[in-house]
Amino acid sequence: MGGLTAAQFIQPAVSLLAILALAWLAHGMRLGEDVRIRGEDHARDLAREAVCDFDVVDLVLDRAGIGALLRDTRGRVMLIKRHGAHFVARLLDTHADAQLDRNFLTIGSGEKTFGRVTLDLGNKAQVWAGSLRRLGV
Amino acid sequence: MAPGFNPVAYAVPGFVLLVLLEMVWAWRKSPNSYEPRDTLTSLAMGLGSTIAGALTAGLVGAAFLAVYQYRLFEIGWAWWAWAACFVLDDMAYYWFHRTAHRVRWFWASHVNHHSSQHYNLSTALRQTWTGTIAFSFIFRLPLLLIGFPPEMILFCAGLNLIYQFWFHTEAVDKCPRWFEAIFNTPSHHRVHHATNPLYLDRNYAGVFIIWDRLFGTFQPELDEVRPHYGIVKQLGSFNLLWVAFHEWIGIARDMWNAPWGSKLGYLWRPPGWSHDASRDTSDAIRERWLARTAQAPAE
Repeated sequence: MGGLTAAQFIQPAVSLLAILALAWLAHGMRLGEDVRIRGEDHARDLAREAVCDFDVVDLVLDRAGIGALLRDTRGRVMLIKRHGAHFVARLLDTHADAQLDRNFLTIGSGEKTFGRVTLDLGNKAQVWAGSLRRLGV
Repeated sequence: MAPGFNPVAYAVPGFVLLVLLEMVWAWRKSPNSYEPRDTLTSLAMGLGSTIAGALTAGLVGAAFLAVYQYRLFEIGWAWWAWAACFVLDDMAYYWFHRTAHRVRWFWASHVNHHSSQHYNLSTALRQTWTGTIAFSFIFRLPLLLIGFPPEMILFCAGLNLIYQFWFHTEAVDKCPRWFEAIFNTPSHHRVHHATNPLYLDRNYAGVFIIWDRLFGTFQPELDEVRPHYGIVKQLGSFNLLWVAFHEWIGIARDMWNAPWGSKLGYLWRPPGWSHDASRDTSDAIRERWLARTAQAPAE
């Protein structure tokens, strides 16, 4: 530690300030704002981006477009949710969890860092909740 | 040249300025090219990487000096030695980078560079914290055995890293044909960061794209296949520690759960490999996609 100079301490501190300034500026410039699923075709595209052989046979969109649930020809169920200015997807398995509250279905993939999302699925919420239960979710 | 001179440290103000300029471009042309939390994560990974690099520099230096004692030739500091060192170091980088995508041990330290779903200049700074611990520097040891001085190799490696900054952008479409033929460019590297099956595990080059052309890993960016960035299983998190260590944790979990005969496979086999074939490697994804699209147009 004796060889460390003041510059070696100052440099990371200045870098940290620059980082915070750039992130604050990105926020101030409203970069990466509010993305939504624009419709069923968009949801299908997002599903295929995540898993190239995911052939959608049924899907339901959140009313505000912040997420979707999709089922493919092989019976797999995919959850798509918003992440920053993009979307992320997970195939749901028995580690996932779902809670129904009237029209709202709260779903997690079982991964703590992936988080959970509450989707407003309207009158389709109950049907999809039942469908997820049959998956073992 | 002073011992331990690091050109990257002097390039940092330029990096910050160019990120700023690209943000202005994004504001005018493509607002979703940036996302504040993603930018913060990427830049913090960059800062953490320089700190981790400083903390482990002694280990790399000791290894370099130890190996240099067994050099075959006395190359010295002639001008041609600098040029040769830069080119050969770039080839060493190609093989490091290719291995970092094909061997999960090395992928664990490299994956965080790919973990953003954005492709911008801040993504360039999303660098590893665990590269030295993963022994990524071993790919440069052959240069020491040939006889290039350690300071020369480290300087060339620094220049290589600086060059790699500018092409992490969507603001530049294609460069002149002669330049695209020889050098790595935004277009070539967009392919490298893409998760489209056609683009997976392609264009590993640092400075010279000729290595990919030579070793069969080149894929041009196609107008009809727009790149989607990130990793096959998108992270879905801006948590800095998760970005830095998620793959190491994944390896530990997989090894813990695997039967004894398969544990080491999670270290040396490709990312996506699993002992029960429950996951997909890049090769498997591409093959499946090719089979599906054999009778249909791309994407």
